[in-house]
Amino acid sequence: MSDSLLKVEDLVIHFETEDGTVEAVNGINIELAKGRTLGLVGETGAGKTTTALSLLKLVPTPPGVVKFGRIHLDGVDVMNTSEKDMEKLRGNIVSMIFQDPMTALNPVITVGDQIAEAIMIHQKVSVAEANEKAKEMLEIVGIPGARSGEFPHQFSGGMKQRVVIAIALSCSPKLLIADEPTTALDVTIQAQVLELMKDLKIKYEMAMLLITHDLGVVAEVCDDVAIMYAGRVVEQGSLREIFKNTKHPYTEGLFNSIPNIDSRKAELKPIRGLMSDPYNLPKGCTFCDRCDYALEICKTEKPKRIDFSETHFSECHLYNDSLDFQLDINKTED
Amino acid sequence: MSSNVDAIKADEIIKTKKRSQSADVWKRLKKSKAAVIGLVIIVIFVCMAIFAPVIADYDTQVIKMNISERLEGPSSNHFFGTDEYGRDIFYRIVYGTRISLFVGVISVGIALSIGGFLGAIAGYYGGKLDNAIMRVLDVLLAIPAILLAITIVSALGSSIINLMIAVGISNIPGFARVVRAAILSVKDQEYIEAARAIGAKDHTIILKHVLPNSMAPIIVYATLKVATAIMATASLSFIGLGVQPPTPEWGSMLASGRQYMRDQMYIVMFPGLAIVMAVLSLNLIGDGLRDALDPKLK
Amino acid sequence: MSKYILRRLLMMIPVLLGVTFLVYFIISLTPGDVAANILGVGATQEAIIELTEEMGLDDPVIVQYGRYMGDLVTGDMGTSYATGKTVSSEIGQRFPNTLILTISAIFLSVLISIPIGVISATRQYSIFDNVGMVIALIGISMPSFWTGLILIIVFSLKLGWFPSGGIDGFSSWILPAFTLAIASTASITRTTRSSMLEVIRQDYINTAKAKGVSRKIVIRKHALKNALIPAITVIGLEFGVLLGGAVLTETVFSIPGIGRLMVESIQRKDTPMVLGCIIIFAVAFSLVNLLIDMLYAYIDPRIKSNYS
Repeated sequence: MSDSLLKVEDLVIHFETEDGTVEAVNGINIELAKGRTLGLVGETGAGKTTTALSLLKLVPTPPGVVKFGRIHLDGVDVMNTSEKDMEKLRGNIVSMIFQDPMTALNPVITVGDQIAEAIMIHQKVSVAEANEKAKEMLEIVGIPGARSGEFPHQFSGGMKQRVVIAIALSCSPKLLIADEPTTALDVTIQAQVLELMKDLKIKYEMAMLLITHDLGVVAEVCDDVAIMYAGRVVEQGSLREIFKNTKHPYTEGLFNSIPNIDSRKAELKPIRGLMSDPYNLPKGCTFCDRCDYALEICKTEKPKRIDFSETHFSECHLYNDSLDFQLDINKTED
Repeated sequence: MSSNVDAIKADEIIKTKKRSQSADVWKRLKKSKAAVIGLVIIVIFVCMAIFAPVIADYDTQVIKMNISERLEGPSSNHFFGTDEYGRDIFYRIVYGTRISLFVGVISVGIALSIGGFLGAIAGYYGGKLDNAIMRVLDVLLAIPAILLAITIVSALGSSIINLMIAVGISNIPGFARVVRAAILSVKDQEYIEAARAIGAKDHTIILKHVLPNSMAPIIVYATLKVATAIMATASLSFIGLGVQPPTPEWGSMLASGRQYMRDQMYIVMFPGLAIVMAVLSLNLIGDGLRDALDPKLK
Repeated sequence: MSKYILRRLLMMIPVLLGVTFLVYFIISLTPGDVAANILGVGATQEAIIELTEEMGLDDPVIVQYGRYMGDLVTGDMGTSYATGKTVSSEIGQRFPNTLILTISAIFLSVLISIPIGVISATRQYSIFDNVGMVIALIGISMPSFWTGLILIIVFSLKLGWFPSGGIDGFSSWILPAFTLAIASTASITRTTRSSMLEVIRQDYINTAKAKGVSRKIVIRKHALKNALIPAITVIGLEFGVLLGGAVLTETVFSIPGIGRLMVESIQRKDTPMVLGCIIIFAVAFSLVNLLIDMLYAYIDPRIKSNYS
């Protein structure tokens, strides 16, 4: 798809520390078309945030090293772009919002100024105009514009996150990267913020890369889903394909980990074990130790990518012989 | 009762955790080259202090005047030269170590016990008690520490004991604050609430739960304060309060050697270097401890 | 805001009262007969008793203290036992010198330490950082009186660039100011650096970067302002240390300030003078702390809103 807004190819990122090398991202491929929303799902430590940061070239490069890979963002080759040019992209073509709203805002600068700052960097407007626009942005996210002169500590968590969103959208970016935007919020506030994001996505015709570990959020907002484990995308597909025709044991495990609100007697089925030590990833499939379907080959060989449709693929040895193998979760579905 | 067995098991787990905690800290401390250098230096000083009588005889070599040998430069006979009375500067520095370390540690001990106690009850019980104690300490804090020490020593008279008292008292508010802050940060943690919920008494909570978890900043602070106490001792002796001649003390050696420093630079160089090395080593250790004990840095 | 200032000023009063009481009490413990010291060696018993009565020295300490405070309120700090002049006039003469010394020292310190602290933090682990931090460590380990002596030896006695003492002209202030400044510079540099390091790791710095803010502005606008908050506290504390250090520096460089006056007065058992000096020190220090707190509230909106 040559009209894809974002194209990540074989991205490999390591962190070189005193205690060893962390293989954080191990060959990721992502494609995102204009206006689409991709959910990037995985547990803590899967490499999601690192991937997101790398799109903006914000991975801290003393310990972090991009070993390999290409990132194309709106036609720009990120790897070969200077810091100065990246600054022009950030907040302008692509914006990012972070997980914890309580700490994402600068405590000594007013919220209005923090929004206006983004506007003044990227658009040739006067200070007064930027401040006006900032007030408008606040209104758009549901905060009275008159509060633009207040400081972050005067707002609640949910409202702080709205301010963060206002900052991110102030220059109408083409792509919004949201790193667990609702994780730190109460459930009711979560719903409000998600609604807001959905509305804004449509209004600004934005593409969105939504990083989360919450499949419920994915179901609400995403068009496509990519499941990450130990630095690789182990399954990717459209929302329907992933939810109705799950092809990777890990994805199945994620679905099974969700408590079943309808059946009170049902037992929780957690994925056994822990994610592998990123300092020391196993030779074969990284999910092997925790997988109920593990085969002999899984211990020694990394699984290849198997395509089930134009949009749906999975990396798993179960399908080496036949594409029809069904995971239990698909069998027990209605 | 099974709860007893659980209690014993919990105790064991806590004990092994503590053991590996201090081993862990030691390991991290060793990693810092600076801290290790500091440790080596302070150990050398401690040895000098302990073995001083072995290195030199006090009466004949340290305080006995020897005018014929006065103001000699460093030589194989006198490593750091001799002072205006012909006394060997190196030997005097060695004996001076005893005073510096002694006063340093004891004064910090005084400050830690009194200040620490006040800070602990202020932090733990809060409210009016906290307010009252902090108001009183504010008075002490309004006077710069050295000046307070100077006042106390001048009132009580110049002696080593009074030095310890003066430096100790001037450090009380600092320790009270640090201990109080440490306790405040731990007090509201949930495991304290849990302990209270199972009926533990106040003093048990303080001793078993609050103090061990708030030790880290206190230990770092104490180490750094021994360094400043050594400086304070030297400073007070320099202006003539504190140790009286002929007792060798690094600061008073500087004061008396001052008039000769134009032509005999070594006479102020070496005692001063001794102060710098002692203080530096403790600062290195203090810094190293701070990094080793910081949970965030790993 | 002005309510806050007023409240703080009012709070200063009991503290200063406490200071005067504490110091008066401590000094009253000084051994020796005041009257006998004043009259000198050959004084007769009667003369001593007469003077003691005249000066009210036989009254209980509390009464003497009350009398002293009564005078103090009218600005009378008593008369020096040693020189016979009023304490306030002596202090008035000498205080400016101490003030010049400490203010130039703190000014120098802040000027040097903040930039170095910031640069060290932004270039953590670089040679600049490592060397800088070693120098800073040594800086806080050097006693100011020794540094002063060494500087005198090198720059005054050997090189002859600066005078070794006194206050004759501008150049005579250079060495003393530098001497005093060394330890506080080192300390403030270290604090600024560690504070910057913490701030740089905060989430809001990432938010700023993700907005496209250039690195320089991130440091200057977003990081520095937050990092200064704890640094300011240290600057206030250092001022207190400087006031104490002034005593030593004035002794080494023979500067007629109140630090040296206090030491001499102690040696001469000139109680009113000692008292006067300490009170001035305490007042100065308290005012500086008040200033620091005001600055604090001005910079940190979270604190400002507590007092609005």
